[in-house]
Amino acid sequence: MNKFFEKKFPIVLFIFIPILFLWHPNWIGFQGFQPYWPLFWLLPWSMINGSINGLIFGLFLGLILDSLTLENNFTQIPGLILCGFLFGRIKLHSDILVGHFRYGLICSFGSFLCGTLYFLQIMFKNFSGSTFLLYIPSVQNIVAEVFLTGFFAPLLCSQFMRIIKSSGRKLS
Amino acid sequence: MLDIRRISSSRWWHKKKNWIFFGIFLFLIFVRISKGSIYKDLYYFISKPFWPGQFQQEIILNSINQESLIKINLIKKDNTRLRKILSLQDSSIDDAISAAVISRKTGSWWRQIILNKGSRDGVEIGNTVIGPGGLLGRVKNTSLFTSSVTLLTSPESKVAVWIDRIQINGLLVGVGDDYPSLILYSKDTDIKVGDFISSSPASTLLPPNIPIGIVQSIDEQFKAKKTIKVALLAKPNVIDWVQILKLKI
Repeated sequence: MNKFFEKKFPIVLFIFIPILFLWHPNWIGFQGFQPYWPLFWLLPWSMINGSINGLIFGLFLGLILDSLTLENNFTQIPGLILCGFLFGRIKLHSDILVGHFRYGLICSFGSFLCGTLYFLQIMFKNFSGSTFLLYIPSVQNIVAEVFLTGFFAPLLCSQFMRIIKSSGRKLS
Repeated sequence: MLDIRRISSSRWWHKKKNWIFFGIFLFLIFVRISKGSIYKDLYYFISKPFWPGQFQQEIILNSINQESLIKINLIKKDNTRLRKILSLQDSSIDDAISAAVISRKTGSWWRQIILNKGSRDGVEIGNTVIGPGGLLGRVKNTSLFTSSVTLLTSPESKVAVWIDRIQINGLLVGVGDDYPSLILYSKDTDIKVGDFISSSPASTLLPPNIPIGIVQSIDEQFKAKKTIKVALLAKPNVIDWVQILKLKI
């Protein structure tokens, strides 16, 4: 039973991401902003299992998270697919310390990518109404998410990396 | 012959008593000029122990509360009667469902709360959600046990609002930060910082006259219309209990 649980632990974590996304713990965030949680799991998963796997699980994550949010017109899928694919092309670093901080940098970049794609969707949808300039202050969401994701990534990604590696669930 | 200078003690300025009288006289002049302020202040301290006590203050406050409640009820009845005459929509507080907030996303792009009452409890899509302070948003989605509410700050939220002072309708648009933007399709409106905004009586989606927010700043960037930042009265990031209003159209 224990061995089974150990093997499936990355999938259990995958199931917990939407719950964390909904839970939105204020004590971790900053002034209502939160790190972009799915990237903490997607980065180690994609780095170990490769681009195609990352792309597929990015799509799965996007589908689940889109179903939890109320926005019908905007989607997180393109950002997560792109991140999953790009993260899969990054090689593991042998230096542990450099590796830790690299997670922070990569997650920040991923968060920036996802946030920008989401923002562009909002702008595109409201472009015809000529009120799209109103949405420019919401760029702060991207900045806050990039900072928080980069801040927590070295700690969380390295733990997830250890868990996924130890589970031996290498698909590719 | 020596002229002996006579030192007399009969001069008025040599008498201490006269100086005292002079001092009192000056003091009285001062009292007269200051219109008795010293006396009044003195009286303030002397009479302090005998002021109407806390008990009397409570009685008066209770009376004022009762008077206000009676006035509100009368105004409500009047309002309902007049709305019926004008065939406008109405909402009753009897149709409200109390619900607890079980999940909230008030930062970032996704601005929504999830409540612990769902379709099983009679919550329907489109119901209005209010909290302490005023309007929070509308129910966008229901499951059996929960309902999801799009907040006014969400980029998907657009509601009609009413600015009572200048008697004009506007459109409140969520832009993904804590201050939604109010769009007035007229450049010449005399809106000011501090104006009160409520839900529009003309709206078919929301009950009328629910408090929403206060004008925080006015932006002049557009030529044909005015955009205004609004500070919301109800704070979704701290509210734990809300009421879901069922709208009768």
